[in-house]
Amino acid sequence: MCVVGAGAGGAVVAAELAEGGADVIVLEQGPDHDADRFTARPAQMLPRLYREGGQTVTLGDPPIGLPLGRGLGGTTLVNSGTCFRTPPEVLERWHREFGLELDEPVMRPHFERVERALSVSEVTPELAGNNAAVARRGAERLGWSHGYLRRNAKGCVGSGVCAFGCPTSAKQHTGITYIPRARAAGARILTGVDVRKVLVNRGRGVGVQARDAEVRAGTVIVAAGTINTPVLLARSGLAGESGQLGRNLSLHPATAALARMDEIVDMARGVPQSFYVDEFSREGIMFEGIAGPPSYVALSLPLSGARHAEVMSQYRHLVQLGLMVSDGSHGRVHGLAGHPVVNYSLSAEDLKKFRTGLARIDQLLRAAGAREVFLPLGPGIRPETAQARDLKLVGFHPLGTARADSRREHGVVDGSLKLHGVDGVYVADGSVVPSALGVNPQLTIMALATRLAFSLLGKPAQPTP
Amino acid sequence: MREILDEFVAAGPALQRPALRALLTLARRPRGQALLASLPLAQQAADSLVAMAYYDDPARSRALGWDAEAVVRRGRELRHREGRP
Repeated sequence: MCVVGAGAGGAVVAAELAEGGADVIVLEQGPDHDADRFTARPAQMLPRLYREGGQTVTLGDPPIGLPLGRGLGGTTLVNSGTCFRTPPEVLERWHREFGLELDEPVMRPHFERVERALSVSEVTPELAGNNAAVARRGAERLGWSHGYLRRNAKGCVGSGVCAFGCPTSAKQHTGITYIPRARAAGARILTGVDVRKVLVNRGRGVGVQARDAEVRAGTVIVAAGTINTPVLLARSGLAGESGQLGRNLSLHPATAALARMDEIVDMARGVPQSFYVDEFSREGIMFEGIAGPPSYVALSLPLSGARHAEVMSQYRHLVQLGLMVSDGSHGRVHGLAGHPVVNYSLSAEDLKKFRTGLARIDQLLRAAGAREVFLPLGPGIRPETAQARDLKLVGFHPLGTARADSRREHGVVDGSLKLHGVDGVYVADGSVVPSALGVNPQLTIMALATRLAFSLLGKPAQPTP
Repeated sequence: MREILDEFVAAGPALQRPALRALLTLARRPRGQALLASLPLAQQAADSLVAMAYYDDPARSRALGWDAEAVVRRGRELRHREGRP
C-alpha cells in the first residue's frame, strides 16, 4: 500500500496499516526534521518548517494566509496541538446532508485510539501560563463559558513555540509518534519525494508516479493535504466526475487581538494555545489563546513605525487572544502549472461573525483589565464597520476540497473515503471533511484515517493502540 | 537581519517573491519609506516583516524577556536526558 503524505492523515493510516501487517510505503514531499535544529526563533523557523515559508496566500477578499507544515508530521509539526473531537452536531449534519454513517458511536473508538496514541490531556492552569490566566479572568468577569484545551503533549514545559518547532519534543506530532511506529512495523518512509500522479489502470489504482520514480501498489492512499490533494488528483485525471474536486474549501479563518496589561504577562512562557472561550460557539465564533516570542508578535501587531516600537518595548505586558470563525464561505483550489491556486472570499455572513467576534474580544480583554486593545484592523476602523478587506486573516484549518459524500454526483470520495468510480484509491486528509467543524480539525482527520486503516485491514479498531 | 529576510523571501511562493523583495527594498530606503507612507497596507506589511526579522535577533528578544537560546538549551537537555526524539 502506498501512502502519499505523512501528516495528520497519512502518518496515522500508514502506522495502523503497517502494524496490521500490510506492506506500506510512505512518500513524503518534505524533509524529516531534526529537533536539534529548532532554534525557537520564528523568523528562522518559518522558511524551514512551513510550505512556501508560511507565505501561501489565498486570492480573494480579503487575501488570507495559509500556514501549512511541510515534512514528516505535516501541519501537526507546527500546529498548537489542540485536540477537539468532531462536535456531535457536525456528525449529525454529515449524516443528514452527506449520507455519511459517522455518528458518535461509530467514531468513538477511533477518537479514543488516537487520543491514547498521542497522550491527549487537558492543559493545567500552571502550564497554561499568564496569557491564559488573563483571558480566563476576562471570561469569568463576563460570565462567559470557557475552559482549558486538550492537547497532544507529553512532558510539556511550556516552551511557547509550538508553531515553530517544539524544542522539547513534547508535542506529540505524527512525525515523532505514528511515523516511528510505522517504521518499526516495517513501513518504508521516504522523504523528499514529489508525487506527480496517481496511476490508474482499468478503473483501479495501481501506484504513483513521482518525479524520479514509480511505485507500484494495489492500494493508494492520497494524504497530501487539503490544498495539494485536489491538485494531485486533477493532474492524475481523477475524481472530476462530480464537479466537486477542489471546491467546498472551508478555512476556519482566524485573526487575533493583542492588549497591553499593567501586569507582566510574558505570553510565551506557557502553552501558547491552552485556553478557549466557547460562549458564542453556536454563532460560529470561538476564542482561543495564542501567543509567541517577540518576533512573532512584531509580525502580527497592527501598528507601524514609532508606535510599533513603543508597544513592542512593552512586550512583557502584552497578551493575545485569537478569534476563529466557523465559515459558511466556500473557496476553491485548482492547479496552475502544477501549483495550487486558492480562491476564497469571505461571505457577508462570515464578515458579520468577525465584526461581532472582534467587538466581543475587545470586551473580554477590557474586562480582564487591558489598558489598551490592539484589534487587527487599520487605523480608525471599528469592528462594526469593518469590511472584508480590513481584516487580517489566517486560515489554519483548510478542509473539504475532496469532500466525502455517499452520492457520487455530490462527493469526491464515498463514506469509506474511497474515490467514487475508482477502486483502490482512497483519500485520508482534511480534504475529505465535508463541512467546517468550528473546532481544530486534527483529531477528526486522524480518527477518519484510523477508521480507513481498519476498514482496509478488515477488522474493528480497538481503543488501545 | 538582512540574511533572515532573504531566507524568508526565498522560501515564499515564486510569484510573490519579486513583489516582496521590492517592498522590502522600499522599506529600507528613506525615499521608499516616503512612498510607502502613502500606501498604508503595503507599509504595514513591510514594517511587519522588517520588525519580525529585527526582533528575531536573540539579543533584542532577550532584552524583552524572551531568551530563545535558553529555551533551546533546556529543550535539548530534556530530550537527551529523557531519550525523547
